[in-house]
Amino acid sequence: MTPLPAPLRWLHSLEWRRGFFDWARSDGVTWVYIFKVLLAAFLTLWLAMRLELPQPRTAMITVFIVMQPQSGQVFAKSFYRFLGTLAGSAVMVLLIALFAQNTELFLGALAIWVGICTAGATRNRNFRAYGFVLAGYTAAMVGLPALAHPDGAFMAAVWRVLEISLGILCSTLVSAAILPQTSSAAMRNALYQRFGVFALFVTDGLRGRSQRDEFENTNVRFIAEAVGLEGLRSVTVFEDPHMRRRNGRLSRLNSEFMSITTRFNALHQLLARLRADEADHVVAAIRPGLQDLAEVLDGFSGRALTSPDAARLVNLLSAYKNSLPAKVRSLRADFQETEPTEAEQLDFHTAYELLYRFVDDLHNYAQTHASLADHRHAREDWDQAYTPKTNWLACAAAGLRASFILIVLGSYWVATAWPSGATMTLIAAATVGLSAATPNPKRMAFQMACGTLIGALVGFVEMFFVFPLIDGFPLLCVMLAPVIIFGAFLASRPQYAGVGVGLLIFFSTGSVPDNLTVYNPYSFINDYIAMVIGMLVCAAAGAIILPPNSRWLWRRLEQDLREQVVYAISGKLKGLASSFESRTRDLLHQAYGLAAGQPQVQRDLLRWMFVVLEVGHAIIELRKEQAILPVHPAYAESQPWRQAIRVMGRSLVRLFLQPSASNLERGLIAVDHAISRVQATDEPFAPHFDTSALRRVKSYLHFIRTSLLDPQSPLAALKGATQGAMNAP
Amino acid sequence: MPREIAFHGLYMPTMTLMFLIAAALAWALDRCLAGLDLYRFFWHPALLRLSLFVCLFGALALSVYR
Repeated sequence: MTPLPAPLRWLHSLEWRRGFFDWARSDGVTWVYIFKVLLAAFLTLWLAMRLELPQPRTAMITVFIVMQPQSGQVFAKSFYRFLGTLAGSAVMVLLIALFAQNTELFLGALAIWVGICTAGATRNRNFRAYGFVLAGYTAAMVGLPALAHPDGAFMAAVWRVLEISLGILCSTLVSAAILPQTSSAAMRNALYQRFGVFALFVTDGLRGRSQRDEFENTNVRFIAEAVGLEGLRSVTVFEDPHMRRRNGRLSRLNSEFMSITTRFNALHQLLARLRADEADHVVAAIRPGLQDLAEVLDGFSGRALTSPDAARLVNLLSAYKNSLPAKVRSLRADFQETEPTEAEQLDFHTAYELLYRFVDDLHNYAQTHASLADHRHAREDWDQAYTPKTNWLACAAAGLRASFILIVLGSYWVATAWPSGATMTLIAAATVGLSAATPNPKRMAFQMACGTLIGALVGFVEMFFVFPLIDGFPLLCVMLAPVIIFGAFLASRPQYAGVGVGLLIFFSTGSVPDNLTVYNPYSFINDYIAMVIGMLVCAAAGAIILPPNSRWLWRRLEQDLREQVVYAISGKLKGLASSFESRTRDLLHQAYGLAAGQPQVQRDLLRWMFVVLEVGHAIIELRKEQAILPVHPAYAESQPWRQAIRVMGRSLVRLFLQPSASNLERGLIAVDHAISRVQATDEPFAPHFDTSALRRVKSYLHFIRTSLLDPQSPLAALKGATQGAMNAP
Repeated sequence: MPREIAFHGLYMPTMTLMFLIAAALAWALDRCLAGLDLYRFFWHPALLRLSLFVCLFGALALSVYR
């Protein structure tokens, strides 16, 4: 056989290597994670057995619960698990002390506590949610078994805290020290990539090449990334001192990114309308400025933006920004020669006002991004935190559901005195808590029941046919390893996460031996039946009692989304822009998740969000403009234009609280009136948009008007619907 | 040093207290290192933090058991 020629051999090795690295980056990460879970679990189990803790399995379950692919997530989850366990144990000791003699009262109080904690978990939705979940079900976990002999309750709580601390220590140690996958690396990567995607999106939009569907999908992606990055940021604080020093800047970066996407959407909406109206000469007059910006951004689109790149972008943008006013003046001079109408001039001015603000914000964003390279920086000082917004009704529904399940199962237990009733109740408490924070609790609970069933079958075989034959810890590990690997693999696949979690946790609950192994098939089978029934009841309750992924909740969230405009009009001005942006996105993100599988609902929600963001943002700008007006009679509070703007605010509140054709009409009249009042006011400064406050005010008013008239918006559908009704016989 | 201490009627090994003290010390040291941006000189900051903690805890524990 002749040896391969050198280049071919080189290619061969290259192919192999590339394949290997591809694997290492995708599946390899999963396998490293599974290996780490295995290591942490066995380390914990060994230590717990060696230290003769009463329930080594609790320590091991902790490992399965807190282990996540990224070490920052493990830290955050561990931290909140510890706090939750402490709170839950304390409450349980209190409840036992109060109601040990009276099971009914104890169960009632426990149901209320679990309900409160579940509602808290739904309200928070990040790792803090997990602390609430734990505070709820730890109380049930420790309290229900201790109810029969309340004198041991305090020690049971102490042991539980110790076991969980051991599990937490081992898993954080393994995940941080051995082949760590850091959240900060993931975050940096996401940040850098995001700008590349955004730059491509902007250049496409400026050149008029983007399609409506693609535009919406990219926006949904940016929203998900904004929410996700906020989550990552809150996690990296636990992990990396390097990132902790940059916490303020990261938060600021996210807020500025949300603001530039809103600005760009506004500009894009205006351009799209001009193109649709076939106002070609207006578009042609605006285009040269857009073209220049697109050329600046071309160098950055579709690739990761590193800190040196960001510094380069800052320079390019400040040059562009400085040349913009002169350019606008010359373009306007050309434009005036075509003798445009009043409305067309307003379009031209609004477009350049939006473009200028967009470039200004983009410049700020680039500066913040470039500042990440420094250890200390003035931009670190940032107090406008990301504000999440949750619907209290959804939280209350989750809490009610949890209390109800606990009361039903607890009553059944008390009424029948089934020996495994306590297991059923406490497993239901755990499942309802664990599934409350997911968008689809019914599915999660059902998947966990499936996982538990698999765990029960495997556990039965292991417990009664394998464990009696083996001796020593290493053999035990060998026997447990396949189940854990399978469970961890399933848990790392998003579509089977519930099955994996159920298998890992409940296999360990029932089938991992303590130091003194008890072989009791009756209670084993009874307990597993109780677990599966408990979970199925949770799944049923999730589907029947106020299910979150259904119409009533989308409607509520849609209403909440619209009420953000009211917030923009009446909220306190300090930090308003940033909290308005984050609250609106957070709401949409939730609603979008809950409406999964309903593309029409999702599209409607998204369109409402665009209107809300555009109008709300313009209102905030108007309020800011008015707050910094110089002292001059033309700008006095009593001036007709300021009164007209206040009237417009009230009519917009009415429109967004109760969208109807007549309210829309009133809103439009109020906006037109405000525009005419502003036009009728004389101003002491030159009418350029960089010097004249009234010109900027007029641009924003005009923009609100175009948003209300946008044919793509749900408001236009409102108008169309009533017109259709009127035309119908 | 006594090897066990009583905390509201709960006996626990002095090691527990040492563990908490070591954790507090390690945290302070970590803040200090992070504040001076010294972590950029290390390959594996997490491992460094862990090792520092083990050293501190070991030193404190030895003072009890020796």
